Amino acid sequence: MSAWIDPGTWSAVRLSLLVAASVVTVSLPVAVPLGYALARSQFRGKWLIEVAANLPLVLPPVVVGWALLVLFQPEGALGRLLLPLGIRVAFDWKGLVVAAAVMSFPLLLRAVRLGFESVDPRLEMAARTLGASRLATFLTISLPLARRGVIAGCVLAFARSLGEFGATVMLVSQRESTRTIPLLIYSLRDRVGGERQIWILVAVSVVLAGAALAGSEILERRARAGRVEES
Amino acid sequence: MSRLTFDCRHRFRGGFELAATFDSDANVTALFGPSGSGKTTILRSIAGVLRPHHGRIEVSGRTLVDTAAALHVAPERRSIGVVFQDQLLFPHLTVEANLLYGSLRPDRCGQAVDYQRVVAVLELGGLEARRPASLSGGERQRVALGRAMLSRPELLLLDEPLAALDAALKDRILVYLERVVAEFRIPTLFISHSQAEVRRLAERVVIVEGGRVLAQGTASETLDQPGPLARRDALRPVNLLRIDEIFDHGDGFQARVGEHQLLLPPGERPGGPPFYVQFEPAEVTLALGEPAGLSVRNRLQGTVRQVVDTPTGVFVAVDCGQILWAEITREAVRELDLRPGGPVTCLVKTHSLRLV
Repeated sequence: MSAWIDPGTWSAVRLSLLVAASVVTVSLPVAVPLGYALARSQFRGKWLIEVAANLPLVLPPVVVGWALLVLFQPEGALGRLLLPLGIRVAFDWKGLVVAAAVMSFPLLLRAVRLGFESVDPRLEMAARTLGASRLATFLTISLPLARRGVIAGCVLAFARSLGEFGATVMLVSQRESTRTIPLLIYSLRDRVGGERQIWILVAVSVVLAGAALAGSEILERRARAGRVEES
Repeated sequence: MSRLTFDCRHRFRGGFELAATFDSDANVTALFGPSGSGKTTILRSIAGVLRPHHGRIEVSGRTLVDTAAALHVAPERRSIGVVFQDQLLFPHLTVEANLLYGSLRPDRCGQAVDYQRVVAVLELGGLEARRPASLSGGERQRVALGRAMLSRPELLLLDEPLAALDAALKDRILVYLERVVAEFRIPTLFISHSQAEVRRLAERVVIVEGGRVLAQGTASETLDQPGPLARRDALRPVNLLRIDEIFDHGDGFQARVGEHQLLLPPGERPGGPPFYVQFEPAEVTLALGEPAGLSVRNRLQGTVRQVVDTPTGVFVAVDCGQILWAEITREAVRELDLRPGGPVTCLVKTHSLRLV
């Protein structure tokens, strides 16, 4: 197998999967409470959060990448804070996660928020009259009932992270150690004999996207089977 | 110390204002009034899901709301069980998990209620593994009631527990409610706009209309007054006699109410005790002496207790062991010279009776 697929391709696939999984792991704990807050409460500055969270969706990815680079370069506002901790984001594999997380966040947040909006708030009210605290209500009622949205958001964020290119190229640039599938495909474009490898990567991308969709479908079905004809 | 003291004002954006004051020591209290009278607002304030703008609420000596002291106890700390009109069962949990949802919470003040006992009383056995979506309306209502009771409430609030059900189901759920009230003795406040329900269940009645409390007291102090008696809408008065015994006399069923016998309409078959016969006051004919040659089967001798003149007609309360109301015209009252203390015979056609 490895004779057929060279080590560079393998490591790109591995890296892409790792980045996409990290993005979901890092973003979910932010998206779930934020999505819940946006779905349930009115607060000052809510529009500002909505605009900021959706910005990566409408801005050209390279612009977002540029903004991230400015922030995270060693002299940047965030880079300067992270440097003493020994954390490098720009031109590092962590940058892959940051860029993909920022770019996929609007999709994740939107799906999670829609999930929470589909939950009847009166069910939460009923849970509280039964003695459940806000947190217990959230964990036992709101989150389980919003899980379809959460699952859908994770799949979208995962798939979007696999394909992230524009912001990543700006923030991390092209290096041997930070080549995800899209970056590798791009770098192979002008290489003689790279075409075969590109086709393999394209096939892998298609398989991964299909697997993500199938995975979400299975999770969804299992969730649905668990609640039979939950109305 | 009252079990429940309520004194709140709340103004809604639409202009409706609630300004209600009442208290109750009774085990079962009814909030009675038309839709939109503020009953649900009162209930929501007590449950803690609505913050009244001004006022105080106390339950069993505990202050739950005191706007003067900026006190508003969170709903989960109130130990108040609520049965909502549309049940609000958790769709992703089984019936058993729904029932037990509130029972595992700490800090509830009320007495513990035995799970198996609730399942038995509400006849929920066999449903425990099912999901709410596969239950019938009556089953859902019973699960909601069981869930609220098992949360160890100090006070049970029922928001029109029967409103969403059809007549036959209403009667059956009412039986369950009666059982629950009798067996578990959890203080209960329920909302209703049916005099039959209120007369049957409540020891104390609070009449609410237009956001104000019009009257509070026993059924006779509140419902048997000109205002409530004159109602023509859903709040209209109704006679409800408790049946002591039912027997089959071959050609149908006969009911014993105190010393009286009532012939029940054919096809009316008792479903399970306790039974009541229900009929409208306008279906009652009053006669002096013992009339002969009448097709009316049911005759109850009694004594006039009260004559209440209302804008729509005169209501005469007759004591036949239980109080029964007859609605007749002013002319008839004059002609028969009906006054408290006088003997009278109440005639009710069998086909006017409904077994509930």
